[in-house]
Amino acid sequence: MSEDNAGKDTSNSPESEVSISASLQGAAKEEKYSEKDSDLEISKRKVDILLKATGDAPIMKNKKWSVPCDRTIGSIIAFVKRYLKLQESDSLYIYVNQCFAPSPDQIIMNLYECFGADGKLVLHYCKTPAWG
Amino acid sequence: MGEDREILREIWDGRIPISFSLSSDDCCTLSPPDPHYLMVPRMSYFPIVLDKVKKYFTRSINSDLKIDEIWLDFEGIPLKWNYPIGVLFDLHTGGKTIPWPLTVHFSNFPEESIIRCRSRFIVLLSCHSIYREAIESHFLAAVKEADAFKHRGQVVKNMQMQDHKQLWTGLCNDKFDQFWTINRKLMDCNGEEGFKYIPFRLFLKDEVPIQRLQKPFGEDGSRLTLEDLLKNVLPRTLNENYRVTIQGIEPPWDTPLQWLSEHLSHPDNFLYLCVLQSEL
Repeated sequence: MSEDNAGKDTSNSPESEVSISASLQGAAKEEKYSEKDSDLEISKRKVDILLKATGDAPIMKNKKWSVPCDRTIGSIIAFVKRYLKLQESDSLYIYVNQCFAPSPDQIIMNLYECFGADGKLVLHYCKTPAWG
Repeated sequence: MGEDREILREIWDGRIPISFSLSSDDCCTLSPPDPHYLMVPRMSYFPIVLDKVKKYFTRSINSDLKIDEIWLDFEGIPLKWNYPIGVLFDLHTGGKTIPWPLTVHFSNFPEESIIRCRSRFIVLLSCHSIYREAIESHFLAAVKEADAFKHRGQVVKNMQMQDHKQLWTGLCNDKFDQFWTINRKLMDCNGEEGFKYIPFRLFLKDEVPIQRLQKPFGEDGSRLTLEDLLKNVLPRTLNENYRVTIQGIEPPWDTPLQWLSEHLSHPDNFLYLCVLQSEL
């Protein structure tokens, strides 16, 4: 069932699974995590995120990305801005469940565990606040 | 919930004495200014309560420093402004160091460990409101997130802008009744059914806070407890050497989660659990 839906999703716009860990490295410099055993265990895991445009935000050619799960929302925002070639000063908002904007220091792991479905976390992005 | 209103009040009235000292890096006077002492609500956020501190130190810092670049550290560790003050206190001191000695900085903002207040929300603004506006959006985003756990976001969706505003001003002005008139709606638990999930954030020192899905009731309808949550989230690390504090209190591990969520949550509707290693 879920695979069917995923298939439909990809029929219009080709999605490819690309690791963005390399392109995220610049942004990742902002964050430092202590490399304890438990952290290492978590950071090895990757999860799929689906980035969907809302409002007047440009669409990303690749929507589906595989992301290390200790990445922060802040680093995803920075990544999307670079990908869309937006200015540093442009605003970009990311929403979960089309409902709330997670804090920039929130990690993907927490959102995936709580709000992920069908093996992926859907994030909507927009250039002006969409859902408050 | 009537009889437990007293508990809500007690929790709301929790205060922490703090002594603020100016960082020697930013001091431009020959002798450093005396520390500034404040009693601060546990429930509040630093951006809400720092106005007096900024004013107090204005004359002692170089005029080219920006007063809104203020940040705090405790024993060299920068404090995250986006967490409630009581949570930071419990996490960093184990609730023991009173008054809590903090150092106030107006320069060298630690970008790598604290998010900038304005980077996220504010595009055009007047200087003086940077902190307040940022924490207000942050707070309301957390309220919405908590409601996504509790009611799939439906309650907060049906609220009006002025309700959001009332939650915020109730918190800012320390007005219990004003806040709870609205917050009651967010605490609606469908009679005996309880929340869909308990919104919580679990903090281990020096680690990223953990959020997971946690139901208040088991499959058989039994009430789940604090211990069930801890076993769910920390199955391997947990042992009797851990102390768990919520709002500075160590609740018995058999306390039902639904009750904890309704009574010991912070104003953003999240339950903040600090897991500390006990000292032997």
